[in-house]
Amino acid sequence: MSDKIDISKKESNPEKSLQEESDEEILDTDDEEELLLPRDTLLSAGIHIGTRMRTKDMDNFIYRVRPDGLFVLDVKKTDERIRIAAKFLSRFEPARIAVVAARLYARYPAKKFCEVTKATPIVGRFVPGLFSNPLYSNRLEPAVIIVSDPKADAQAVEEAGIMGIPVIALCSTDNEFTGVDFVIPTNNKGRRALAIIYWMFARQVLREREELAPDKDIDLSIDDFEAKISRVEM
Amino acid sequence: MSTATKNTTVIQTPICTSCNRTIPPGAEATRFDCPNCGEIIIWRCQKCRQFGRKYKCPKCGFMGP
Repeated sequence: MSDKIDISKKESNPEKSLQEESDEEILDTDDEEELLLPRDTLLSAGIHIGTRMRTKDMDNFIYRVRPDGLFVLDVKKTDERIRIAAKFLSRFEPARIAVVAARLYARYPAKKFCEVTKATPIVGRFVPGLFSNPLYSNRLEPAVIIVSDPKADAQAVEEAGIMGIPVIALCSTDNEFTGVDFVIPTNNKGRRALAIIYWMFARQVLREREELAPDKDIDLSIDDFEAKISRVEM
Repeated sequence: MSTATKNTTVIQTPICTSCNRTIPPGAEATRFDCPNCGEIIIWRCQKCRQFGRKYKCPKCGFMGP
């Protein structure tokens, strides 16, 4: 009997794509646990989508492999890590938190994050020696740094290591943990995914600092955190 | 009390949370409070950071990175 029921279920949705099926599988699991944002919002932005490459370091955060070869991250672990990271950041003086973003789509959300949490943004090219050269007049001495991609922001991670600064990194399935002290597993390439992650992170930091009530949202929306696509006319 | 004891200063060197080795003064190590509980100081030596070795908070059991 049970076999017959299964077959009828499969036949009822013959036009479903592979992606829809795989997303539904994630939707079905752990419905009781409350996430920082509804699961649908997180999945539609693709914060769980990794790359076709996976490193051994990221094994613990990978949920499954999609039939098209993409590795999928565990949304629950992302949520859990954001909560812990916010708790960690709330112990630091806001101005001594630096957010590094070299990646194009990460720059805008990183700036917005800093605007909300009063952290220091370092977007675009990271000037070598910014943390480690004592002769550089514009040198910064942050207590903790957040990097949008440890691969793209390798210079910042290296200098933080020299100076003994803890590093929080947004890591996708293809990142390694070299020089990283705290990992937030997420899609660090997508425009919408980065906006959601930074928005959630900013809100959670404010909640942990008790500047925002636990049931309130920040004034800015997720759309305000999203990098705009600029079109160059030929 | 001997003269040797008088002139000796005892330095407590930190121990890496991942590999349990002592971290010599001046080494490129990182120090931070446990991200989860904030009550324990986590030390990570240069090599453990380089290789991405795991650390565990002895109090709350948080596993990083």
